[in-house]
Amino acid sequence: MIEVRFPVLNESEPDAEGVLATWFVGDGEEVGEGQLLCEVQVEKSSEDVHSEGAGTIRLAVSEGEVVRQGEVIARIE
Amino acid sequence: MTTAERTRERRLTTARAMVEGIAQEMRRNEEVFVMGEDVGAYGGIFGTTTGLLDEFGPERVMDTPISETGFIGAGVGAAIEGMRPIVELMFVDFFGVCMDQIYNHMAKIHYESGGNVKVPMVLMTSVGGGYSDGAQHSQCLWATFAHLPGMKIVVPSNPRDAKGLMISAIRDDNPVVYMTHKGIMGLAWMAKNARSVGPVPEEEYEVPIGKASVAREGTDATVVTLSLSVHHALDVAERLSGEGIELEVLDLRSLVPLDREAILESVGKTGRVLVVDEDYRSFGLSGEIAATIAEEDPAMLKAPLARVAVPDVPIPYARPLERAVLPTPERIEEAARGLVGA
Repeated sequence: MIEVRFPVLNESEPDAEGVLATWFVGDGEEVGEGQLLCEVQVEKSSEDVHSEGAGTIRLAVSEGEVVRQGEVIARIE
Repeated sequence: MTTAERTRERRLTTARAMVEGIAQEMRRNEEVFVMGEDVGAYGGIFGTTTGLLDEFGPERVMDTPISETGFIGAGVGAAIEGMRPIVELMFVDFFGVCMDQIYNHMAKIHYESGGNVKVPMVLMTSVGGGYSDGAQHSQCLWATFAHLPGMKIVVPSNPRDAKGLMISAIRDDNPVVYMTHKGIMGLAWMAKNARSVGPVPEEEYEVPIGKASVAREGTDATVVTLSLSVHHALDVAERLSGEGIELEVLDLRSLVPLDREAILESVGKTGRVLVVDEDYRSFGLSGEIAATIAEEDPAMLKAPLARVAVPDVPIPYARPLERAVLPTPERIEEAARGLVGA
């Protein structure tokens, strides 16, 4: 199982919170390695999160939800 | 459930779909290049060129100084010499400082040369309000451009059309003004509409310029609209459907050429029409739709034409005032109810 974590965009404040801006995949879908999963945002900067493996994705947070950097946002089984 | 059933079509935001269309055309034709303010390292302030600099380098993705008349004029010159420039005017509101290049040169050189000189150029620009950006950063102004002969005008409302219309615009030998509303781009930092993310085919494909699309079929009235207002109209249509009122939503997608046939066909079927337009009310798109119907057969209307547009005032900065002038779902719903007598 792969844990997908919210990336650290603000390195000077590791505990900073961000927003899960857009999910490009849905809960329970099959994803492939390298596939674009979501876009996240901390303050005004945003970053894409790609899949590090293949499998069925389970989303742990909803679109628009506030998340602390480094927290698990999905699991790929 | 099989794997295939669980895997949906690939989804993109409108901004990413535009970038994919541009990148595919840049790969297949080395005459295609991009220039404008902050289109390079920044990736376009509304995400229209993100990643292009990395793939194609600074000779094909050029940041320009803040001189719209200079770089749009340079684009016209490059197009005349056989290139296919995509030039970004960051906000359409800035057209005032470069309009001579746009409507006296880009739009007229083909005519003035007796058809000998083509200007295959895309002028890409961001339009629309709803996020308190004030009177000089919130206008749509598509009717201003559509009024002037010599330019095609496309205004996609969703990711799939945005990519297909971009590819069509780049391949077209005429100057095409490509206008996208900031509210449909799917940007992380702007209030997002659910329909700003949607399925987009991975291969190259064209969406024909000048063809409207029935975004939702209905029988009781036709909502003729475009861009972000398509999303609002679909939301209203879904709500009214619960009460037995079925709105047809026609997404114009292009203003020049205008798909008058599609308008007349839909209005001929429903007998009622509401025009929803985020541009100014007078001397604009809604009046053109009314004239199109009146010239064909005013008797096709069972009720007077209704319109929801921006009253003839500058777009306010204050959020409550801005909401009062924009074609919000509330204003669309009220007008639709009035139109069908519900």
